[in-house]
Order: sequence, then structure tokens, then C-alpha cells
Amino acid sequence: MLSGIRGLLTTLRWLFRRPVTAHYPKHHLPVQDRYMGFPALLWDETADEPFCTGCMVCVRECPTQCMSAQMHDNPRAAEGASHRRKIIESFSINLNRCILCGICVDVCAFDAIEMSHEHELGSFSRTGARADLPILLDLGRSFQAQTQWTPTNPEKNVAQVALAKRAAGAAAKGDGQEEPS
Amino acid sequence: MTLEARDVLLAAIGLFALFNALLIGTMVLNWTERKFLGRLQGRVGPTRVGPFGLLQPLADAMKLVLKEDVSPGPAARAIFWVSPMLIFVPAYVVWLAVPVAPGLVIRALDLGIFFFIAFSVLSIVGLVLAGWSSASKYAVLGSFRSAAQLVSYEIPIIMALLAVVVATGTMNIGEVVEQQGSAPLVAILPLAFAVFLIAGVAEVGRTPFDIYFAESEVVGGPFVEYSGAHWAIFFLAEYISTLLIAVLASLLFLGGWRWPFGDGLPAAAAAALVMGKAYLVVLVIFWVRATYPRLRIDQLMSFGWKVLVPLSFAAVIISAAQQFYGWHAATSTALSLAVLAVPVAIQARYQRRPAMERARRYAERAIANRQTTSVGG
Repeated sequence: MLSGIRGLLTTLRWLFRRPVTAHYPKHHLPVQDRYMGFPALLWDETADEPFCTGCMVCVRECPTQCMSAQMHDNPRAAEGASHRRKIIESFSINLNRCILCGICVDVCAFDAIEMSHEHELGSFSRTGARADLPILLDLGRSFQAQTQWTPTNPEKNVAQVALAKRAAGAAAKGDGQEEPS
Repeated sequence: MTLEARDVLLAAIGLFALFNALLIGTMVLNWTERKFLGRLQGRVGPTRVGPFGLLQPLADAMKLVLKEDVSPGPAARAIFWVSPMLIFVPAYVVWLAVPVAPGLVIRALDLGIFFFIAFSVLSIVGLVLAGWSSASKYAVLGSFRSAAQLVSYEIPIIMALLAVVVATGTMNIGEVVEQQGSAPLVAILPLAFAVFLIAGVAEVGRTPFDIYFAESEVVGGPFVEYSGAHWAIFFLAEYISTLLIAVLASLLFLGGWRWPFGDGLPAAAAAALVMGKAYLVVLVIFWVRATYPRLRIDQLMSFGWKVLVPLSFAAVIISAAQQFYGWHAATSTALSLAVLAVPVAIQARYQRRPAMERARRYAERAIANRQTTSVGG
């Protein structure tokens, strides 16, 4: 009887709380920072180009073979604006096949791919689940903006840092050559 | 007595109006239940159809009416299609004698309470026939359960109403209300009110007494094989009965239109007062539904026979003694509360000991008994 009354009071207390329901299309519950959504390609702000060089290691390692990629020569490397001699030309992921395992992120040597927070697959077209390069880069840019993402190996992968390092190295080498002469 | 065309016409209009009022009442009740239950459980209830989901019951009704009405191959077809009506008609007919305001009743019967008792028992026939005729094990099991449950809880509900009749000296529901000018009957007969409410909830089969629907055990009881409009009739009957129990509680125990504002209320305000009290009772029923899980069938039967039936007899005896010896009304209140305290005290005593401790004591006693018998043998 007493515990029964306690039960009644417990339900009554819920009456005066805010309901926990979120109306999905109107209200989105925030995801955790560690949330693993679909993979996205990241954007190197310093060179104004993607991190991805199109090395295809993610394509080869993908257990569901949901990706394809093609590289081409990077024109900006010739201008000296970037340290990447090759860069991605086209990239596409079939999001229906992706199992969100994150292996592509683990194998990438260029900090180019990351599991974003995007998880909504619905679309009105048959090819809606195929993400091509602009879409993946958009996903990546919004992911970077949301999470203050930082590269794991900036010296190798971020254009400005890598160019500065190369210039410093060249200067040091130049100094070394000048001294003995 | 001759039956004139005018009387027949008036009765027909009254029946039609009552039916529509009950339909709307069912929809309001359904919406209230889902919204209230949702909030009690941290959800929001229906929100999409109409403002605040108000049109959700209408959408559900349309869906049920448009749905295909199927019956199982080996079903006893005629009985199968008739039995929803056998449940609905008694639930509807009782309303003829229920006044919701002074004079606002189709037929003010002198034996109104008796009429209610007589017709509310009838729905058992419909439930048993529905279960039997659907040629399904679950339905038959459910209908057996419903027969056992409804027959058991019929006794306390009749006894609680008998206490009211003894206290007021009339079976006319309107006159019972008129006698509650100074104080509602719940103040004089709290025991009868408690018994009436619990047995009433059991009578309409709402949680925690929904043993005979019991989705997890008999997958919907007598209604398993029904679909579409026929299922909707069962649903309607259940809600009409729930509303009836609430309105009767409001009229017979909570003072109806007489208490606390006295006699001079206009009809609309009186009806609003009665329905307001009834909705409070309904909210309590929903609140209990949101809180308690379903009883086991043996718990249900033992609660009915070992707790409610003795309590209801005590209620009648107290009411009769008070009338016979001409005691003050407060004596009845005190005696009722004292009797009501007995099961509460027993339960509290059982509950004070943690279950584990009690189990250990039983186990120790069992071991001790075994040792003595083995020594003796």
C-alpha cells in the first residue's frame, strides 16, 4: 500500500516535468562529439584545397567497397601554393553501402577523411545516397566548423606548415652550402 | 397507458442525442487518456492531427471504420457479428437512467441503480460469446477470464451501491443526488466509495485489472479476432463504461450537481459540475493505469474475494447500522475509515519487512521443520 502510493507519486511527479520527447524533423537532438556518422572529406584552409591526395588507400581498405576515387596533378603545387603534388579529382561514396566502420579514417595518412556527424540518409531521388566530391567536402567543412577539428600530423599535411618547413629546410641547406665556399 | 407519436419521436431524438454525446465523450476521453498518460510517462501524446492532436481520435475512428472487417474461417459467424452489439447495447442502455443535470435524463427511473446493476452484468454474456464464437484459444481463454473477473467484482460493486441505497433510502439516482445537499456521500461512506471505484475499474477492465485483454498473455482476449468497425464497437463500449463509472461516482458519491454550490444552478452549469467531477475520477483512473502493472489472475481473484467482498459487506453493515440506530453521520465516516484501515495496516505490516528477510525466515523455518521430522522418523 505504502509503496503503491509512492508509485502514484512518482508518476504524478512526471506530470510536472518536461516531456523527454523531441519531435524529430522539427527538433534534432545534438549528437555527441565522438558520434560516428558518414565519412566526410576535410578542407585545408591554408591552401584552400582538400587534404585528400587521392591515394586510394581508403578505397582499397573499405570492407564494403563503397568508395571510389581518382587523383590528378595538383596545379597549385606548380604555383608553389601547396605541397601536395597530386590531389583528388573525383571521389564518391555510396552511403547505402557504408557501414560506418571508420577504417577509412584509421588508414588515411593525410588527415583527409573523418567520420562526420551526418546520419540522415533520406532523400527524394534514386541517387540521393551517392555522395560526390562537393557534397563530401561540404560535409567536411561543416564538421570542421562544428567540432574545432585539428589535424593529427600538421607538419606533414597542412600546406602552410609543410611549405614553411620545406622553405626553412631549404634555407638551412642553402646556408650550409654557402658557408664552405 | 398509451404510446403517442410525440413520445416516440422525443425518445428517438433523445436516444440519438445521447448516442452522439457518448461518441464525442469517448473521443474526448480517448484524447485525454493518451495525452495524460503520455505526460505521466514523460512523453507528449498525440500532437500531429489537429491542434494538440485533438483530431487524433477522429482519425483513428475513420481508420477503424474504413478498415476491412475480417472474421476467422471456423468462427460461428452469426454470433461473432452480433456479440459486439451484446456488449455495446447494455453499456449504452444504462445511460438512459443516468441524469447529468436535474431533469436532463431520458427516463428518470425510480429503480435507476437497480437498472444499472441489471444491465452492467449483461456485458459478460457478450464477452463470453465473442470469445467463444471467434474459434480462437486466446479469445476463449480471455472470455473465461472476463467471466471470472466480472462475476467476482459484480458483488462488491452491488454491495457498495447497496450501502448508498440504504443510506439514502432510494434507488432513483436523481433523488440520491438531491439528498447530498449538505455533504457528499463520500464523506459518510468513504469505504463504499473506495470499493465502488476499485470494483468499477475492474468491471470495465482497465489497467491494472485488464486481465481479460492482457496483450502479453492472451493477446487481446475476446477481441483478438475482431478488426475494423466491430473492434471499434468494443472500444466504444469500454470507454462508455469507463465514463459511466466515473459519472456514477460523481453522482452517487461526490454530490453530483447539489454539492458544493447548492440548488440554484442553471442546467448547463449543473451538467458541467457533474461532468467535471466525473473527469476528475477519470483522471484518477488514468493515473492508476499509468502507475501500476497488470495483476496476475490469482492476485485479482484473491483481492476480489478476500479484500473487496468483505469490505463491501462491512460498508453495507455500517450504513444499515447507522440508519437503524439513528447514529450521527460522522459515526459512519469513522467506522468506514476504521474498517478501511484494516487492509492498509495488514499490507503495511507485510511491507515493513524486506522481502529477503521474510524469505530467509521461511527458509529457516522449513529447515527446522525438516530436521525435527527426520529425527522423529
